[in-house]
Amino acid sequence: MITLHPKHPFKAPVDAECISPDVFAEKSAKEIAALQIWEGNRKRTLSGLFKIKHENDSSSKEFTIRICGDVSKVRKIGAKMSKGNIIVEGDAGMHLGEEMKGGVITVTGNADSWTGSMMKEGTIEIKGNVGDYIGASYRGSTQGMSGGKIIIHGDAGYEVGCFMRKGLIKVHGNIGKFAGIHMRNGTIFIQGNSEGRAGAQMISGKIVVCGHIPSILPTFTIDNVRPKVKVNGEKVEGPFYRFIGDLADGGNGKLFVSKTKNTHLNSYEEYL
Amino acid sequence: MDIAIKNGKIVKKVNAKKAKIIDALGMTVMPGGVDIHSHIAGAEVNSGRLLRPEDHVNDVEVKTALTRSGVGYSIPSTFTTGYRYSRMGYTTIMNPSMPPLEARHTHEELDDTPMVDKATYPLLGDWWFVLEHLRDDLIEECAAHIAWMMTATKGYAIKIVNPGGLESWSFGRNVQNLDDPVPNFNVTPREILRGLCKINKLLNLPHTIHVHTNNLGKPGNYVTALETMKCVEDLAEGNRPVIHITHCQFCAYKGSDWRTLSSGAEEIAKYVNHHDHVTLDMGQVIFTDTTTMTADGPFQYGLYNLTGNKWVNHDVETETTSGIVPFRYKRKSSVHATQWSIGLELALLVKDPWKIYMTTDHPNGGPFTAYPKIIAWLMSQVARKKTLSKISKRARRKSLLPSIDREFSFYEIAVVTRAGQAKALGLTQKGHLGIGADADVAVFNVNPEQVDASKKYKTVRRAFKKAVYTIKGGEIVVKDGQIVKPVFGKTFWIDVKTSLPMEVNDDLKRKFREYWTVEYENYPIPESFLHVPAQISVKAEI
Amino acid sequence: MTVITGVTCPVCGTFCDDIELVVKDNVIIDVRNACAMGAAKFLSYAAHRSLKPLVRKNGELVEASMDEAVEKAAKILVDAAYPILYGWSNTSCEAIRVGLELAEEVGGVIDNTSTVCHGPSILSVQDVGIASCTLGQLRHRADLIFYWASNPWSAHPRHIERYTMFSEGRFQKSTWRGYLSRLSGGLSRKRLQRAVNLVLRRDIFTTPEVKRRMPYSMFQKKRKMVVVDVRKTRTAEAADYFLQVEPNKDYELLQAMRMLIRDEELDVDEVAGVPVETLEEVADIMVGCELGVFFFGLGLTMSEGKHRNVDAALHLTRDLNQRTKFLIMPMRGHFNVTGVNIVFTWQTGYPYAIDFSHGYPRYNPGETSVIDILNRDEADASLIVASDPVAHFPRKTVQNLVKNPLIAIDPEVSPTTLLADVVFPSAFVGIEAEGTAYRMDHVPLPLKKIVEPPKTCLSDEEILRKILQKVHKMRRNQN
Ligand code: SF4
Ligand SMILES: [Zn+2]
Repeated sequence: MITLHPKHPFKAPVDAECISPDVFAEKSAKEIAALQIWEGNRKRTLSGLFKIKHENDSSSKEFTIRICGDVSKVRKIGAKMSKGNIIVEGDAGMHLGEEMKGGVITVTGNADSWTGSMMKEGTIEIKGNVGDYIGASYRGSTQGMSGGKIIIHGDAGYEVGCFMRKGLIKVHGNIGKFAGIHMRNGTIFIQGNSEGRAGAQMISGKIVVCGHIPSILPTFTIDNVRPKVKVNGEKVEGPFYRFIGDLADGGNGKLFVSKTKNTHLNSYEEYL
Repeated sequence: MDIAIKNGKIVKKVNAKKAKIIDALGMTVMPGGVDIHSHIAGAEVNSGRLLRPEDHVNDVEVKTALTRSGVGYSIPSTFTTGYRYSRMGYTTIMNPSMPPLEARHTHEELDDTPMVDKATYPLLGDWWFVLEHLRDDLIEECAAHIAWMMTATKGYAIKIVNPGGLESWSFGRNVQNLDDPVPNFNVTPREILRGLCKINKLLNLPHTIHVHTNNLGKPGNYVTALETMKCVEDLAEGNRPVIHITHCQFCAYKGSDWRTLSSGAEEIAKYVNHHDHVTLDMGQVIFTDTTTMTADGPFQYGLYNLTGNKWVNHDVETETTSGIVPFRYKRKSSVHATQWSIGLELALLVKDPWKIYMTTDHPNGGPFTAYPKIIAWLMSQVARKKTLSKISKRARRKSLLPSIDREFSFYEIAVVTRAGQAKALGLTQKGHLGIGADADVAVFNVNPEQVDASKKYKTVRRAFKKAVYTIKGGEIVVKDGQIVKPVFGKTFWIDVKTSLPMEVNDDLKRKFREYWTVEYENYPIPESFLHVPAQISVKAEI
Repeated sequence: MTVITGVTCPVCGTFCDDIELVVKDNVIIDVRNACAMGAAKFLSYAAHRSLKPLVRKNGELVEASMDEAVEKAAKILVDAAYPILYGWSNTSCEAIRVGLELAEEVGGVIDNTSTVCHGPSILSVQDVGIASCTLGQLRHRADLIFYWASNPWSAHPRHIERYTMFSEGRFQKSTWRGYLSRLSGGLSRKRLQRAVNLVLRRDIFTTPEVKRRMPYSMFQKKRKMVVVDVRKTRTAEAADYFLQVEPNKDYELLQAMRMLIRDEELDVDEVAGVPVETLEEVADIMVGCELGVFFFGLGLTMSEGKHRNVDAALHLTRDLNQRTKFLIMPMRGHFNVTGVNIVFTWQTGYPYAIDFSHGYPRYNPGETSVIDILNRDEADASLIVASDPVAHFPRKTVQNLVKNPLIAIDPEVSPTTLLADVVFPSAFVGIEAEGTAYRMDHVPLPLKKIVEPPKTCLSDEEILRKILQKVHKMRRNQN
């Protein structure tokens, strides 16, 4: 196991694509220390910015990187990683686990926007809150998250799962607007409330809102009331209104919304 | 053999003791590459760049002490475009589609495209002045206006795109064939083509009319392509070409729909083999993700409908239209693979390499950086077979390639990548290494006398990817595939001298105000606007 | 006294190029054809100008030589680990080109004001594409004109007269008559009258008497104008039809329209406060037009939903092209904000928010956009060109901007220049310096030099070039 402690608080953004088990695993301690890392427009080494501690830890076979301290300015931690673990004890910066192909990232604090964007496999678990564009695509691309799991214990921001294609995003807290926008497939499971416009322009896939939602987009049509819904093998007790949309985009996505928490939607029942 | 260079020109000899000597023994030495049709600058190209951050993000050029940074893939930023062409030994690039109203934009970008000489073709086939004059059969007046336009926009050749179709597209329509009149103007594509062909001759422009045919990209359109060539057949004199059909692959389709699509290359090649008034360029398709962009608004709209991809449309008042759609050519798609095959069939079936030139219609068929691949396909049957074995079965069955055993020689490659293009463009100082030519030279690390390109096509491909030397105007600008000296490159433009120039009176100014939303005096570009202008004067017969 | 014709107006995105200026002794004494906003610019541009470079010493801004100011500015930029270079939409493309090279050289983030106006529109264009055109195309052909959440009457005063309702085209007649009858108030009538005279080049002495009617005109075969907004603006008063939408509900409305134009039904009776029957009627009119256009403004891009509002509008336009011809265009504000996107894009591939810190362009608005960078307090120096962020950015953002070294290039004294550490007074581009700028529809036009600037005021381009040269030199010495 390798532990990293930031040596000083960061002001300019730090780009640390190299903090990944895949990169570390094949390198000697010296090589790891010399890994190049950007702080603003300055080229630094990993050891210039972080105290690096190597520990022999036989408890886990998987290669593990532990980061202790505030790395909320450090971007792309675990980007493109395919194996091993990263544990961030503190807050993590943007693009955490971007294009991740496997392995596990855990953050005890908050994570920023673009967490798990374009990820393909693996698991990201955030104990705190996250920013916007979780599991999203890059600008202009329709290739969002295409597999894996993102679990957020706190709240999530806007446009979660933008252009998502596969996989699961689970939010224990509340979620911002436009969850699942342009979603192609996959599942977004929200245990808290949604700020609205859930499923905007979705083509397919499933969004489940267990809490309150202010309104349903006019381009969704009510389809059914279901006693429960299955999310990733797990049964969630309802009842739920099931909407289909986004019809403006010829979509066939399923939007499940708790019936009991959304009594203001009961006028839809006349269409059933 | 030695090539002597002095003051940017090829000369008979120089003082060998004082000169810098480059030893190119065992290498291929060619004139700098010339590209007759490559969308590298201007409104349309730039909208394509803006549209596609996802296209650039994984292909970047880092700034160095000598070069500017940029992004690449299918629509590289301007600096990157210049560097990448130069690294492949190219020194002259023609930007084929410029809305006249937005000419300033094109030239600003060309100025920021270093390393190469360049020129640009104004789109004139659907310009209201042209439609009206040709409807009324006022050839000479029309010619005077075109002469003015060439100078005003600092253009090089008359570009015609889907004649009549663009004006129709302004109201969401299109023309169907050469005799389908343009709505509201009552002039036919045939009349536009013939009129502008005559005008091109009257003005003595160095290049022919440069034509993107009607019905481009539609199954069955090889008939339209043939009719387009035929429609100016009688205007030819001697063996001088009078029409260039560009990216011919896109208009060499047989069949009644996409399912029955097959190659019309044989018919087109047969015609071209028997007629001297036509030149072509390939518009070769590469299996990759690219960005299609043409002035052919209705065609691009069709492509958007076909793919559902993002779509940009930009219509330009009184002049033209344009569209952009990202596109991925897939090996396993029978349509795309057939398109790939047709491009090569055309190049191989047209017997005279001076009549067909290598292009991808960058970026429509694929980015220009794929040229070394095309060279390998042209030079080696093995290379073609290898790709054939990986494409859609249906397309393979239909392909004419297995029946063609022609393999290009190095000499023929030099013709289709530089000499032929320069000749078609009337750029007499380019495309050859004779005395007096511009000292644009490319040296590639492959021995033409020893390497059997047919078998060693990979060696050839590698060699053409990175020039050992690119010499531009007598200066070494690239060494071992790296830029060693950034240079600007000139912009050629045609100054047509007419004995009765277009009269600029109040009437015309009023007409200007009626037709466009800009004032007359703000339309023409002064020569001083160009970074390195290179004026070519021609004397017109009017 | 000389009269200069065909002058472009360096004020708003309408970028009129028919201005006539009367100049006497290097002073503009009269302006013809411009609107009040444009005329004011030409006549009183120099009212709040500064003349000498300033450098902050012991907390005070004091006059300095050009060389000293350049040296100081270059040093600030070279020493910075994450500098930002912001502004650009009110200067020439030539200056912007130098600015990009400077940003690249110092490894900074360069961003322009579209980050706070139509940046969201660009993000959605990158997702959807855009069906658009030049303005003349609309003047000649558009018979259905939507101004959506934009108020050209006050923000783009000559837009309607030059390019849409009021203009006369090959296939469309001007509809000034209908206008005059609808408009009340002497002032607006006078303004229109002047515009009529200009467009038709003949005088209108009497106002025709036409009775005010309900939007029956909407069903006539003639040019029609519809305004969609949250409140009845001056533009809305002049429209054939005004569609009032609940604040922050544009997204729902646009998405619903997409279904209605395909004759599909909705499960609701009302969208964004508008009865669905009304919307169905609007949908019919859209589908029935020859050529329609949406002009949209900041009301769409900066209200809730931001770029997704535009996303829906772009989709709606796209969908409409299945039935008729329909186009869409953002109403760009500053005279060269379109140009700055264009120049950024050809040099770097991206239109705004470009981060050169790794030696090549990277783009991700939200991450690499100046407001977000400042909000996260990441920048350690800034260069502001022809813009006034101190007056326009949120407070917290401004605090983080001014606590670090700040360089300002601006012809005028502004809150930003007052708080800067180095100030370069520049020449007014389009009046005292020439160049190129792009109209909102991407048409490039020349900016003209009408009068000589004061000797101490160089153009933005020249000042930037001086700083760039100095930076080059310092960096060479460093290595
Ligand atoms: S509309 Fe805009 S560009 Fe035209 S004169 Fe008025 S301020 Fe100037
Ligand atoms: Zn082309």
